[in-house]
Amino acid sequence: MSELNKLSITEASKKMQAGEITAVDVSRVCLAEIEKRNKILNAYLEVFSDVLEQANVADEKRAQNKKEGKESHALLGIPFAIKDNILIEGRNVSAASKILENYVASYDATVIKKLKEAGAVFLGRTNMDEFAMGGSTENSAFGPAKNPLDEMRVPGGSSGGSAAAVASYMALGALGTDTGGSIREPASFCGLVGLKPTYGAVSRSGLIAMGSSLDQAGPLAHTVEDAELIFNAIRGRDSFDSTSISEDLYPKHAATKKIGVPRHLLKEGIDQDVLEQFEKSLEALKKSGYEIIDVELPSAPLALAVYYVIMPAEVSANLARFDGVRYGLSLKGDSLFDDYAKTRGEGFGAEARRRIMLGTYVLSSGYYDAYYGKATAARAMLAAEVSDVLKEVDCIATPTTPSPAAKIGEKSDPLAMYLMDIFTVTANLTGNPALSLPMGAVPREGKQLPIGIQLTAAHGDEAGLFKIGKEIEKIAVQ
Amino acid sequence: MISKEEVLNLAELARLKLSDAEVESLQKDISNILDYVGQVSAVGVSDVEQLKPILRNVMREDKPYGAGSVMMLGSREALLEALPKKEKAPMGGFFNVVRKIIQKDE
Repeated sequence: MSELNKLSITEASKKMQAGEITAVDVSRVCLAEIEKRNKILNAYLEVFSDVLEQANVADEKRAQNKKEGKESHALLGIPFAIKDNILIEGRNVSAASKILENYVASYDATVIKKLKEAGAVFLGRTNMDEFAMGGSTENSAFGPAKNPLDEMRVPGGSSGGSAAAVASYMALGALGTDTGGSIREPASFCGLVGLKPTYGAVSRSGLIAMGSSLDQAGPLAHTVEDAELIFNAIRGRDSFDSTSISEDLYPKHAATKKIGVPRHLLKEGIDQDVLEQFEKSLEALKKSGYEIIDVELPSAPLALAVYYVIMPAEVSANLARFDGVRYGLSLKGDSLFDDYAKTRGEGFGAEARRRIMLGTYVLSSGYYDAYYGKATAARAMLAAEVSDVLKEVDCIATPTTPSPAAKIGEKSDPLAMYLMDIFTVTANLTGNPALSLPMGAVPREGKQLPIGIQLTAAHGDEAGLFKIGKEIEKIAVQ
Repeated sequence: MISKEEVLNLAELARLKLSDAEVESLQKDISNILDYVGQVSAVGVSDVEQLKPILRNVMREDKPYGAGSVMMLGSREALLEALPKKEKAPMGGFFNVVRKIIQKDE
């Protein structure tokens, strides 16, 4: 009974349906684990007080379904951790920022609505880098989250609290958001599976926006099957998000049984042992019948620079709404201008302020063409290159990050932190779906730290990612 | 390195009040980041013209969403509840209290 939190979602669902365990049992064990570990890990910013009631409702729904001969959703009664930038009606949602510290969501995000319909249980809201800006969860206004596998280290970010919650078995699954790697990087650092869906595959209604041409919500889980289950539950066109797409928008990818590796990107800046693990995974894939071929993405070396122009530009626009007039922190100064400047100066943390400033710079007249204009062109070039390559191969494989989790406080220079996103930003810029999953571990100071392999597929081909992901899972490279 | 004046001008445009120490550190940070992202200038001019991003407009029918409509997100009350400073309106409900910005002519 005590290990119920270590079941995969699929296993827990089967056991609940068989009547061996209840949703209340599973939630209770997760709550006990939270009680034990959250104080140190700081993964949850808030644990909801009605978890057991929600679980009880789920158990009743299952009983009712059985009586009526109806099938229960696979996520019925499954306890989830939800990133703190996703709105749940009537509950606090802060994006881990002082400027929204006491804000109460006035409606459900579409992804929440869908999980509620499935009957999922919400355990609490998880820590993150403020407004999802960062790769370590150190930028939270409410203290950093810690990596459950080594508490001296970061869990990654920005969905670090969600990853830490699942990796420490304080939840069975979680939702995160990914603007430049914020689901995949923490998944990699915590030994989990994380999916950044195709741009538009999942509705963003009710998500606190960061970079609107880049943001997507997606799952963090222990297995590919679980991630697939969650993705299928939250996907779909939504009239509240005009950028959301129908499932058949993109033509179906014709499988080639080939995997492309952009070796020209792997020549420098990657830890040697990370690269060795990556090669081992490729060898294993060869044995299961995949052909590994070299591919060229000539514009990819520019991806990170392009990202750090486009993202701050969108941040500066999206965060303009936080002015202290309609919601959130509201401070008074000597003038209307002062009201705004004081509210925003004190409400936003250092990284948010830095990115707003940078975004304002690259969008200001005189610099717009040199930065934003060029970045947009490079982005279009990169997208065309990725699409071309994905006509020949089923997916493009790289390590998810160049190294495993850093120590808390180790990367104090903003640019050094940004370099961790070198492999993940491309999928956000091009809109392709990308999956990170474990590819073993590397030793650092006596601890084994997990690392991830990232697979990028053609637009709309999440199914292809899950298929290859399951192959890699089966091989289980150590 | 970008100048202190440039940083202060950006802060004014972005409506951010910054401490002197932060102005100084932002001069350094922004300059470093701009040096790195400056790589994008390698993209040729002809490329820029050829590669306008492919965008499409998505419109909905221009009809207002009525109260209680399934197309409406959040109730009026819930949205008003979030106001930082509100005052009871004589006809019921609340006013959002904002700073007076229109001055009487002297």
